Amino acid sequence: MIRLEGVSKVYKGDVTALREVSVEIQRGEFVFLVGPSGSGKSTFLRLLNREEVADAGQLMVAGKDIGALRSWKVPYLRREIGYVFQDYKLLSRKTVYENVAFGLEVIGRPRSVVRKQVPFILELVGLTPKAERFPGELSGGEQQRVSIARAFVNRPLILLADEPTGNLDPATSVGIMRLLDRINRSGTTVVMATHDRGIVDTMRRRVIELDRGVVVRDESRGVYE
Amino acid sequence: MYRLWYYLRETVLSIWRNLSLTMAAILTVAVSLALVGASMMIREGAERATAQFQEGVEFIVFMNPDANADQNAAIRHVLDSSPSIEGYNYIDKAAAYDEFETLFADKPELVESVTPDVMPPSYRIVPTDRSAANVNELANQFAAQPGVREVATATEAIRQIDDFSTRVSQALLIAAVVLVGVSALLILNTVFTAIGARKQEIEVMKLVGASNWFIRIPFMLEGTIHGLIGAAMAIPVLFVVDNEVMAFFQESDSVPLFRGFAVPEGFVWDTSIWLLILGGAVGMVGSAVAVTRYLDV
Repeated sequence: MIRLEGVSKVYKGDVTALREVSVEIQRGEFVFLVGPSGSGKSTFLRLLNREEVADAGQLMVAGKDIGALRSWKVPYLRREIGYVFQDYKLLSRKTVYENVAFGLEVIGRPRSVVRKQVPFILELVGLTPKAERFPGELSGGEQQRVSIARAFVNRPLILLADEPTGNLDPATSVGIMRLLDRINRSGTTVVMATHDRGIVDTMRRRVIELDRGVVVRDESRGVYE
Repeated sequence: MYRLWYYLRETVLSIWRNLSLTMAAILTVAVSLALVGASMMIREGAERATAQFQEGVEFIVFMNPDANADQNAAIRHVLDSSPSIEGYNYIDKAAAYDEFETLFADKPELVESVTPDVMPPSYRIVPTDRSAANVNELANQFAAQPGVREVATATEAIRQIDDFSTRVSQALLIAAVVLVGVSALLILNTVFTAIGARKQEIEVMKLVGASNWFIRIPFMLEGTIHGLIGAAMAIPVLFVVDNEVMAFFQESDSVPLFRGFAVPEGFVWDTSIWLLILGGAVGMVGSAVAVTRYLDV
């Protein structure tokens, strides 16, 4: 599903974010990306989404060579990838329902699909009673659920999550992880960058550790360490 | 259909959020296009006003409406006997009125305001020698005859009208070009502000895979609508120019040639369509520049 071969990324001012990273992630895997701040976790995710372009190496995502992808085709790649952020990135002027529907509307899905899918996903993330609320009226955990619902409503092959529990307390984080686990079990590949030791140690999934842009550990049922 | 509704909703919302800047952009478009239109109409009017000088007619002797038969006979005698006159055409009061009626068929109130007996009869004269010097000399001779109100030579009259229309329409056109540029910039800025106001939304759109055109279209539509509304507001101005300004020249007694200073029926509508096209184009270009420079998609 995801394959990186000798991928490097250097930012302006000679800041090396990733150095010759080679990783292969199979369909349906759940992968934790761990490592200190600045180790290249976010860059790793942003390269998969083509928000950044690698300076060297080859990157295959969902069967597409990301390096050779024409810029007008990037939106179609992103439709295969859901993205969840630490700060949710919800639209404050839209209700929960509208935020989730937005993810379908802007990729041109017909209204009938929107009407069917959105309530279904809201049920999945447990927010049906709050569909008409605005993000500002929700707790952090609820907002993150909305964000996950928006990322998943189009049934992407891959879900990328950048510190999704970074702003949440441990109890709420467990709820979010249950949700991501459930999404993963439905066949979606999940790659999650995190600092949350408790979560990584409890879930015992594949762990890829980055340090200064280099993969220093890759264990199939790893811990945070 | 759903998508069309989405574009319209986004565009209208965006215009509403940014109303003052939008109004400024639209008004600038309106003013500049009104000037473009006025300039086109004056040019056309001048061309029509000089249309009587056709088929070799080099000068026209306008008689006083109350010139008597003797005076007319004297003029006619000279015209018939002079070797320097190749031919002439007499336009009597009735014919002058008919011509006036055709020329201003679209302005019945103007036609009603005159009667055949106030129309100056005229001789449209074709000289043998058409050099400017000769025409001027002949014109002077006729001007001195009793009963003659005025002699309009093609060279002088056309030069005057041309001069007048060129100056006015060029001045208007220069002002219009500057203002069209200003409107394009204002539209660019308005769209830029609209993009800024929806930054977060655009970010999410890109994230979930909205196509580049899907993101661009509402903004380009917004700019185009500015241009079109501005053009629509300029159209009534054209009618005011036609009914008030040009009519003022037509009714003026001082320069008979200005009587023909009119645009044909339908010209105002044709010009209106051009203004709409131009306005839409200016809006589209302005917003396209904003979208390519600031949208990064």
